[in-house]
Amino acid sequence: MIERFLPVASTYAGDIDFVFDLIFWTVGFWFLLAQGVFFWLLVRFRKRDGVRAQYVTGELKSEKRFITIPHALVLVCDVFIVFFAIRVWYDVKQHLPEAQQTVRVVAQQWAWSFVQPGPDGRLDTADDIKTVDELHVQVGTTYHFQLVSRDVVHSFSVPVFRLKQDVIPGRVITGWFEPTRTGTFDIQCAEICGIGHGYMPGRIVIETAEQHAAWMASHSNREIAAASGPAAGGR
Amino acid sequence: MISRWKRAARGVAFVLSAVALAAPATADEGSRGRELYGFCRQCHMDNGAGNPLYLAPNIAGLPEWYVARQLDKFHSGIRGTNFDDVAGMRMRPVGIWLEKESDRKAVAAYVASLPIVEPAPTLVGGDPERGKALYAPCSACHGPDAKGMEALGAPALDHQDDWYLLTQLEHFKSGIRGSKPQDVQGAQMRPMAMLLADEQAMKDVIAYIMTLGGAPKTAKE
Repeated sequence: MIERFLPVASTYAGDIDFVFDLIFWTVGFWFLLAQGVFFWLLVRFRKRDGVRAQYVTGELKSEKRFITIPHALVLVCDVFIVFFAIRVWYDVKQHLPEAQQTVRVVAQQWAWSFVQPGPDGRLDTADDIKTVDELHVQVGTTYHFQLVSRDVVHSFSVPVFRLKQDVIPGRVITGWFEPTRTGTFDIQCAEICGIGHGYMPGRIVIETAEQHAAWMASHSNREIAAASGPAAGGR
Repeated sequence: MISRWKRAARGVAFVLSAVALAAPATADEGSRGRELYGFCRQCHMDNGAGNPLYLAPNIAGLPEWYVARQLDKFHSGIRGTNFDDVAGMRMRPVGIWLEKESDRKAVAAYVASLPIVEPAPTLVGGDPERGKALYAPCSACHGPDAKGMEALGAPALDHQDDWYLLTQLEHFKSGIRGSKPQDVQGAQMRPMAMLLADEQAMKDVIAYIMTLGGAPKTAKE
């Protein structure tokens, strides 16, 4: 259902949507049923001439079942939801598939910046590609991301991936994603991080292998040229 | 009955429109600038003196044209989009937020109207005597008294924080600032910063600049 409003662009986005839908419909069913019974009771037992109101203590077995039976059924639904939620949580947050690429995501007040390996395929070497506001990735590739913060707590949120992960100063938090469709999508900060929080825009550009190779080549050249000259650094 | 409701709705709409139209007419540019400065004061403080804790420099009384130009640069991404420019990236949201050029000018006018605040020295080890000689090339644009020259795009330096001047010289030298092709004034500053061989030379020239303003001349050791 949510995919009608927000594209699905990662391998696990569909699983998260499934849990979302499961919760929505399960809770929605009980909500509508409870409201239906409530209004039916209001109408059915409305004020009538000659009929006195009765105070129900809820102590009789015949009365208690109106609480205990729905309660048990709701608990069964809870277990059902938790079972699927834990399975998805494990796949997204606990399980770390082998990476084909690793990128570093740097959060600060109030910008996202990114470091990705250059042609040598390794981070923290001279050919690293550093960008601000834009992360370029290749579709169909499993990425590990290393989240670091330069100042306060942020939250790395990519809605089309259904990914949200807090960024904690002093810690390197590793997670993963695999993009499944090309396009340009939002990266947001999902944790209030100061007065500029709402103006902390980032974009993720998901490219085909050819497009990504061309982007890498253009940026690698520029970085290597910059690194070899006196004007080293910068985007 | 319906016509009465319609008349009432029209009346409310008229009053709301009148209020909306009257607001901009009564607000002059100064009050607009003051209002917008509410965002800036979070880091630059009420009096524009700045706060090194937030990496926010002293901007009180800076020339209007200079502040407006820098806001334009933050708005367009010429400044504040370098990976190593932590303070610049903090300014970027302000540039994005000040979407209209008229608003950027209004804020710049308000900043320029703030009384100058003499910065407290924070750097130690600079020799103003050596700095005086090193300042000679800078004086061509910033003037012999560091008051700046609008025609050359050079801002006043005499009331600026020493820590900010050091950071910016380092940024110009390393290319963090001034390496974007659109940054004409920054590109002019880069070779000038490279004339200062090391951090000591930068501290020396900054120590000399600090003698030109009204600030206390030495930092507490």
